[in-house]
Amino acid sequence: MSVAIETAVRSPAALFEAVELRHRYGPARGLEPVSFTIAAPGVVAVTGPNGSGKSTLLRILAGLLRPSGGRASLAVSGVVVPPPGRRRHVGYVSPELAFYDEMSVAENLGFAAEARGLAAAGAAVREALERVALWGRAHDRASALSSGLRQRLRLAFALLHRPPVLLLDEPGSHLDDEGRALVTGIVGQHGSTGLVVMATNDEREWRLAEQRIELRGRGLGDSA
Amino acid sequence: MPSNGSNSAAAVWAILRKECRSEWRTRYGLNAALLFAVTTLTVVSFSVGRLGNRTDILAALLWIVLLFAALASLSHAFVREVEGHTLTLLRLVASPTSIALGKLLFNLLFLLVLEVVTVPLFLMLMGGPPLSWGPFLGLLALGSVALAASSTLVGAVISQTRGRGALFAGVSFPLLLPMLAAAVSGTRAQWQGDPVGAEVRILAAYTAAVLAVSLLLYDHLWED
Amino acid sequence: MIWRVLLLVWIAAAIVAGFAWAPLVPVLQETTRVFYFHFPSALVTVIALAWSMLHSVLYLARRDLRHDDHAAVAAELGLLFCIGAAVSGSMWAKAMWGAYWNWDPRETSIFFLLLIYGAYLALRTSVEGVERRARLSAIYSVAAFVTVPFLIFVVPRIYDSLHPDPLFNQRGKADIDPRIMLVAFAMVVGFTGLFAWLLSLRLRLARVERRRLEARTTGSDL
Repeated sequence: MSVAIETAVRSPAALFEAVELRHRYGPARGLEPVSFTIAAPGVVAVTGPNGSGKSTLLRILAGLLRPSGGRASLAVSGVVVPPPGRRRHVGYVSPELAFYDEMSVAENLGFAAEARGLAAAGAAVREALERVALWGRAHDRASALSSGLRQRLRLAFALLHRPPVLLLDEPGSHLDDEGRALVTGIVGQHGSTGLVVMATNDEREWRLAEQRIELRGRGLGDSA
Repeated sequence: MPSNGSNSAAAVWAILRKECRSEWRTRYGLNAALLFAVTTLTVVSFSVGRLGNRTDILAALLWIVLLFAALASLSHAFVREVEGHTLTLLRLVASPTSIALGKLLFNLLFLLVLEVVTVPLFLMLMGGPPLSWGPFLGLLALGSVALAASSTLVGAVISQTRGRGALFAGVSFPLLLPMLAAAVSGTRAQWQGDPVGAEVRILAAYTAAVLAVSLLLYDHLWED
Repeated sequence: MIWRVLLLVWIAAAIVAGFAWAPLVPVLQETTRVFYFHFPSALVTVIALAWSMLHSVLYLARRDLRHDDHAAVAAELGLLFCIGAAVSGSMWAKAMWGAYWNWDPRETSIFFLLLIYGAYLALRTSVEGVERRARLSAIYSVAAFVTVPFLIFVVPRIYDSLHPDPLFNQRGKADIDPRIMLVAFAMVVGFTGLFAWLLSLRLRLARVERRRLEARTTGSDL
């Protein structure tokens, strides 16, 4: 499953390796042990029934969650990045990613850019917002956005620091056709030099992927 | 381009500014805290009256009022993130230590604003002998840093539990007892014209110890 | 099995010796006997705290839940012994100085330990999730460990001691009848053994509970 790794100047090669990765979150629920190696460039879809741990897997890869067992490592340009450092190399989108209601769209992203220490924060914010066609709403409060626009803001947030890896949990949720076209574009563009991992049950989304990691649910009968 | 290095100082500063901006826009926390402090002070003054030369009681009451105000309001910094679900965003843009430092500085600022209102009011209402300004302010400053450091750590822990205000107070108190004792003892001493060197040293050492151990512990705070 | 019987015999013998064999301290009269309960209790509570904190650090370093078991169980037992020490000390204070509680340094320290245990256990009950509970309580435990030493410096500055330190500190050397020290030492050994025994019992229970939980998670269910 490993693909020849190209080292692009702007987008360092990225590689995820998981060995017997598993996580338990309460009795009778959890991510079953899974192992894989995925590398940039490429688009990978993570599929599976509800409760099989798709979102959990992405959180672990993003370095937000410490797994109960097994190991997952990210290597960027051949250098292993420990979990706390992954946030710099990863753009993470998830339904539970929320923004500061009392701050505007631009202020939220501006804060993110400053905290990440990006040079030319203002330009980065503008570029990210334009990429998701949200620049016109830059000065609206985050609380004023509809769910579809909020999803676009999440995408902008993930793209802000131009990471080599995108971890997208249900990227198309709440999006209209225009929004979905945006996602397709972003996934396609990013997947040509970097790595995109999508957790999704939406066929329109896993059609974009070249590889698939299928997670098996628990105790609900066999999955195909 | 990906963010460069660990730009912790930028992250701390960005977080501090964000906190101040959020607080300024909602003003929920500061209003409530000021109201609480003034109420507590009023109750004390109303029940006890002017204390003249009872420096031991004066010192104790001053720190009790400050302690109560802190315990009632400093957990706010993290609870707000949890309730707004913005913790994920924060963890993605900054390291745990930066987050903690940013919150700590904010809590310190918050306490200082609280004290600027409360302490003069206390001195006016409760009476007391003239202050030795240097020692008094020194003790107040050191005690405030200790309060803020401890409250930030405990606040971060409590924000992940089911408990809230009462648990925060109960869990903070054992950690704060040495600091409280030293501060009260020192404040009484300065009113009596005695040297406060020992108490200052204890407070400084205590604060240094809490800060040092916090820096080690914050990396373990958020793992899910 | 034989060890437990021996332990009980040992403690029983020490208690009997405390009443029948060891002499009284002149100034304390009959209240000397409380010493044989109070002192070992206080010592064991400190040992329990140290054990709990040690395992908290080990948990953070190694993430093995067995360390969390140790930390939690030692804290529960420590609380028990702490209550024992506080109550016996209070009864003694009443008999000797007419007041149940005086906030002298020793009493303050015991109370402080009581608070730490209470806070630790309260924190544990409020967290959902086994790993999260282990992690947060370990963090608190380490923070408490750092602040405890300061109490030793701070508390004496505030209050004069009413505690019978003169037993040990008068003229700079221990001038108590060696028989008293012997019984006291024997009780310390007995209490420590008791602590170790209770610890092992509770640990076994904790392990069984955890295994049952894991079985429900990894086994198949319908």
